[in-house]
Order: sequence, then structure tokens, then C-alpha cells
Amino acid sequence: MKFAKLFPFAVALVLASAFCRLASAQGLDPATLLKPTPDSWPLYHGDYSGQRHSHLSQITPANVGELTLAWAFQTGQAAEIKSSPIVANGILYVSIPDHVWAVDARTGAQVWLYTYPPNEGLHIGHRGVALYKDSVYLTTPDDHLVCLNARDGTVKWNVVLADVKTGYWTSVAPLIVRDHVLVGLSGDFDNLPGMLKSLDAETGETQWTFYSTAQPGTPGNPSGGATGGNMWITGTYDPELNLVFVGTGNPTPVLAAQTRPGDNPWTCSIVALNPDTGKFVWGFQATPHDTHDWDAVEVPVLVDGIFKGSPKKMLLQASRNGYFFVLDRATGKALLTSTFAAVNWSKGVDKDGRPIHNPEKDPARDGRLVAPDEGGATNYRSPSFDAKTGLLVVSSRDAYGIYFSKAEHGTVGWAGADYGVFGKAVLRAIDYQTGKIRWNHDLGGGWASAGVLTTESGLSFTGDSVRSVIALRTSDGATLWHSAIGHVGNSPITYQLDGRQYVIVASGGELFAWALPEKSVEQTGSHR
Amino acid sequence: MISSLVYRVRKRQRYGVALALLVLTAALSYAQSSKGQEAAAAKPVAASPATVEQIQAGKALFASQCSFCHGRDAAGGESGPDLTASPLVEQDVHGDKIGVVVRNGRLAKGMPAFGNVDDQQLAALVSFIHDRKANAKEGRRRTVDVADLQTGNAEAGMRYFNGAGGCAKCHSPSGDLAGIGGKLQGLELLKRMLYRENERTTEPSKATPTATVTLASGQTVSGKLAYRDEFTIGLIDSSGWYRSWPVTQVKFTVTDPLEAHIEQLGKYTDEDMHNVLAYLETLR
Repeated sequence: MKFAKLFPFAVALVLASAFCRLASAQGLDPATLLKPTPDSWPLYHGDYSGQRHSHLSQITPANVGELTLAWAFQTGQAAEIKSSPIVANGILYVSIPDHVWAVDARTGAQVWLYTYPPNEGLHIGHRGVALYKDSVYLTTPDDHLVCLNARDGTVKWNVVLADVKTGYWTSVAPLIVRDHVLVGLSGDFDNLPGMLKSLDAETGETQWTFYSTAQPGTPGNPSGGATGGNMWITGTYDPELNLVFVGTGNPTPVLAAQTRPGDNPWTCSIVALNPDTGKFVWGFQATPHDTHDWDAVEVPVLVDGIFKGSPKKMLLQASRNGYFFVLDRATGKALLTSTFAAVNWSKGVDKDGRPIHNPEKDPARDGRLVAPDEGGATNYRSPSFDAKTGLLVVSSRDAYGIYFSKAEHGTVGWAGADYGVFGKAVLRAIDYQTGKIRWNHDLGGGWASAGVLTTESGLSFTGDSVRSVIALRTSDGATLWHSAIGHVGNSPITYQLDGRQYVIVASGGELFAWALPEKSVEQTGSHR
Repeated sequence: MISSLVYRVRKRQRYGVALALLVLTAALSYAQSSKGQEAAAAKPVAASPATVEQIQAGKALFASQCSFCHGRDAAGGESGPDLTASPLVEQDVHGDKIGVVVRNGRLAKGMPAFGNVDDQQLAALVSFIHDRKANAKEGRRRTVDVADLQTGNAEAGMRYFNGAGGCAKCHSPSGDLAGIGGKLQGLELLKRMLYRENERTTEPSKATPTATVTLASGQTVSGKLAYRDEFTIGLIDSSGWYRSWPVTQVKFTVTDPLEAHIEQLGKYTDEDMHNVLAYLETLR
């Protein structure tokens, strides 16, 4: 055949494929999740690494003082926005329990609102939605996964993850890996096993379920009698190892441990799973035999670099129990263990890098003074890793609580009582090579409720404990900008559209989009 | 020198419904009333006996909005007290006490205000809580009894008070602590002993942080610390007015009498803590 004969077909093919690309251009190609574009924030953490670090550099330490409000979006709802928004193709998706808004990422104008029917699931908070092709995925308080058409917010399908009557609820932002939608359940008050499910992105069919503690009916006693270990924060993913890393929550009963001797794997742990099969590959327990509600669900941050002279694929976690871990993420072995906040509950660190449980600090009838308190040395809002400085910037607390438990409290659910005594919030920059704190930045209160975003230009965005969004210089923690919008309740994100970089934070029921004044954008001429 | 102010304890970061708008509403209504919570209408919201439907409706509402902190059975959850053993619930008649707390919150203790709960919903919540109280079973979070805390040695506590603990530097058993063991008991006394939350209170207290601000002119202004963040310092001056300044334009010091308590938290052994509590209990 002659090329000339084929030429019209070839042209038609090229045109057709170009048209298809155009037609689907509003969707999100799952392949781009491996290398997100600068105009997007397509995953809960921005990318699979969990670093919450952006390569955008239009906003710099030199010009951050000029930041201005580009737009604000008011949900009009009483519930606080705790979610991390998702952005793709010029549309931003943000959620609170039972609600998702699609908003023009350039202007803050509402595109659509989806409202889930009233239900009795626990409405404690919502962490965010996920995006795949032209679908948006929403977990609901009563344990459904709803798939919405990303164009208009109409329901494509709705499947049940668990029975809300048993005490499970869901708040997690799903993690998309290829055609897998990974969803962890919540529910640590009802002696339920921790579950992470993978559902088919197209059909909603369950592909596999991973149980962090014994699945009902499992022979033997693999978790020492413990239930719990729910995976209620979005994990991270290493495509080379094809492993998903997820933190697991506290064991149940929570404060009483007489019915669950031993370490209670895999509660308060980081686990590595094969996303295609759900097969458990390794686990590392941040708190063996937890008795203080210290979920280890905090973001497992993936970092590639040199550690003590040799290249390593690492995993960093600043955990709720006050310990900072650097693990080899191929094996789950600890490379470094240190503390980053006030800790008085352990007897040191064992040969495997795990804190050693101290029974003297278990909740008792007459009370035990324990640091950190139940809220923890940090909590679920994201830290951020800046490769240039080698710093993990984390919102932390030095906090004390008193913990009680006695036989009369029973062995179901909380099974005890605890009370916060005092807390002081400090933003801390941890040098992951040494575990040492490079700098501390006093957040001015007891409550560290904002996540952190770092950017390539050397900025860290977060919220203080009083009422401001703040931008700090990542290298030394110096404040360069602030705005008193009320306390920030989520983890900031950033993206660049039409040559303008936006930083998004939430306070209360409002989203705020910060950018340089349009005039300054023109002058800097840093279009990308 | 700048010492730190009182950091209010927030019991948990997963705190649920910290509703900015409602908190604002509650703060405003608080500000408008010198008596704070007491001034809110303490009227019954559910005068007639609760129906099964009402209890069911209350259960659903409680599950979705309250159960994270108070447990689905109202017997306590993450950070929230056991309502089935709550003295306030005990005293409540048809929501006259519970309603005030739900609507106004207890902001200083971390309980948000639910100002958007209507009368019907409130009546349902109240009927559910009372039903739980009547039918409570063991398990879940529970309260701490005074008897649970009687493990300390008062004499050792007195030695610690006068010696290693350094308590006697600021406190005196015949002065500010006279009769403390009669006024406060059990868990309340223990919490007060460890650290006094900087609650909104009109009660005059030595434990209030004070600020002294030196203006550019050299003039100094002192008073109760009213506001502080990284950028602004505010106080109530001697004539009762709130005043604030950018921190870059003044010099200031903050004196927090509770600083020693914060330091002590890192020093106490559990035994010391129980001993000092036992000693305070003897001060009747």
C-alpha cells in the first residue's frame, strides 16, 4: 500500500484521536496522577508522595508580602471545611460531610453542588473527594461511596461500604491508584476491625478488603484480641515498588487493654500493601499496644534521597504519639526514631526502632499524667516535606492529659476516661537526616489545626492557633506574611492557572484563594 | 523579656463540629450578656413526656452531631464526658439545663455551640439523653469518682508542696488555698491543681496573665492580657477598656502566673501528683 493512499486515513485518525483528546480533556487521565501538572492538585496530597510540596515558584519569599485575596468561596454551611480540595482542568472540588461543591478554580464561582441525603452516620468531618477520568468519589457518614459525574454532580452509582448501624462511619478522601479507589473506614468506638477497601473505579465493585486487625471469623488471635486499626487518612503510593502505604488507627477497646495483651498488630501502624491485591507486604508499629488513642494515621511521606551515605527509598512519619520515624519503605525497617514533642509514656526505643510500651503510663483508676494528650503531638492534618532543606514541617503540640480506666469502665469502645490538661502548639521543622528540630515556630495557642504546604521557592504556608493564615520562610521559620481570616482548618494546596499561582486555605465554612496582585503577575512575567 | 501566655487547652484535633459561624454567634451572645450562659433562657423545651418517635429522632441527631465526643450511647466518647453520669443532666428538667449548653456551647471546654438546633430537635436530643441515662449500662467512657483518687500520701504531698514542687513559692495552705479541699473535690480538684484552664470567667483570679506595654512615647500601660498573637498585643487597661497595638510598634512583657504549672507538668511523677492531691484534700 502506498502511503498516499493511507494519508487521508492517517489524517482522519490523527484528527479523530485529537478530537477524542479534546472531548475527554475535561476528565482526569489517571496516568497524569504519576506526574501532576502545575495547573492541578489532583490528589489529596497533591501527588502520590504525600510531601504536599509544590514546584510552583511564582510566589516567593520576596513577594509573598504582596499576596492578595483573589477570591473567597462561602459554603454557607455551619460545618468547618477540613478537607483538602482537589483541582483539575480549572475546577476545584471541596467537601464537608454530605456536601461536595465544584467551583471555578479561577474565580470561586460555584459550578455545581451535590447534597447527600440526611443520615445518622457520624458527621465529624470530611477529608476530601477523589477524581478519576470524569468521576468524583465521595465517602459519606453512613458508609457509602458515591460516584458523581464530574461535569454536573449527578450520581453515577452509590455503593455500601459497611453497615452504619455497627458503628462505622467514613470521612476519608479516597486514593486513586490506576482503576482502584481505596477507601478506609472510620469507627474506633465499637470494637470493630479496621478495614481498607479497594473498589473498581468504573463499577464500584469491591476488589479486595484489607483488615488491619482480625477479620471476624479469623482463626487464632492475630491481633491479641484487639479490634480497631481503622485507616481514616488517605495513604501514599510508590509506583516503582507498587506499594500503597497507609497509617492505621488505635486499637479497641481504646483505653482498657486487659482483653488485648501483646502488641496488637496492625493497630497504630504503618502498613504497606499491594494495591492490586490488597496483600499485606510489611507493617511497622508506631505504638505497640496503644492505650492512649494515638492513631498512626498521619501521612506516610515518601522521600527518595541519601541517608547516612547511601541512597534510600524512605518513608517519614511524624506520629500522633510524639515520635518521628524514618523507615526504609521497601522493607519497613526503621532507619531513625526520635521524638519531636513532649513525650513521657515510653521506656525508650527498642532495637527495631519502635517505642517501648511503659505499663506505668497505661490509664489507671487513679489517673496517669501522660504526654502527649489524646489529641496527640500532631494529628491528621498534613505535614509537608521540603527536599531542598531536608525538612519535614509539622504542626505539633506539647500536651499533657490525664488518663483513667478501671474495671467498671468495661471493655467495649472507649472503656475509660481522659482529660486534656494543657497543650501548646508549635510548628516544627524536623531534619530527617538526624531527627533534630531545625526550628520551632510558636503558633500562639494550644491547638494545632492546620496542615502545611511547602513550595519550591522556599515558603511554608499554614495557620497559627489564634486566627491567621501565615507564610513562613522554610529554611528558618521566619514569618513573611499573614492574614487574620480566622483559624485555618485544613491543609493548604496550590496550583497555577493562566500564569497566576493560587494558594487555597479554608477557615470555617469558607475557602480563601490567595495570589499576587494581577499587576504584579504581569510585571514578574513568570508565566509557565 | 517576653514570657508566654496561657495556652488554652484544646482536647483534640479531630474536634468535630467547631463551627466558626456558630462559635461567633455564641461569642456574640456571650459578649452581649454579662452573665454569660446563665442569661440564656433556661426554659423547658420539652414539657410533655418523650415519645418513642422523639427518642428515635434524638438518637439519629445525636449519632450524627454529638457522638464523636459523647459516644453514640451518650456515655462518653473521644474527649466528651459521659452524659449519663453528668450532674447537669441529673438536674435537667425537660431540657432547661441541657438546652443552654447545646445552644451556647462550652467554648472554653471545647464544646461548640449548636445555635442552629431548633426547638423540636433540641427536645428530641434531650429525650434521647434522658432515655440513655435511665437505661445506661457499663462500658464506654465513664466518670472518675472521688474514691478513685485516694491513692496519695498527704504527708509526702506536703513535703513536695513545700520542697521539690515549688508550690509554696506562690501558694499558701492558709492563704489562697485555705479550704480548697472543701470547695473542690476529686477530678475537679486534680485538674485545677495541674493547670487552670483560662476559662472565660468574671471571677477575679490571681491566675490571670497580665501584660505591660511600653509605647513609643515611653508611656506604659498595664492590665489583664486580653489578646495575643504573633502580630498584636491586647489588654484591658485600668479603666476597663480594651486596647491593642501591633507588636512591632511597642515593647511589652507578659507575666503568666501559671507558667510554673506548665513547667511542673513535665516534672511530676504520677506518685507526686497523687500525693499533692491528697495534701490539698486535707485543706478543708
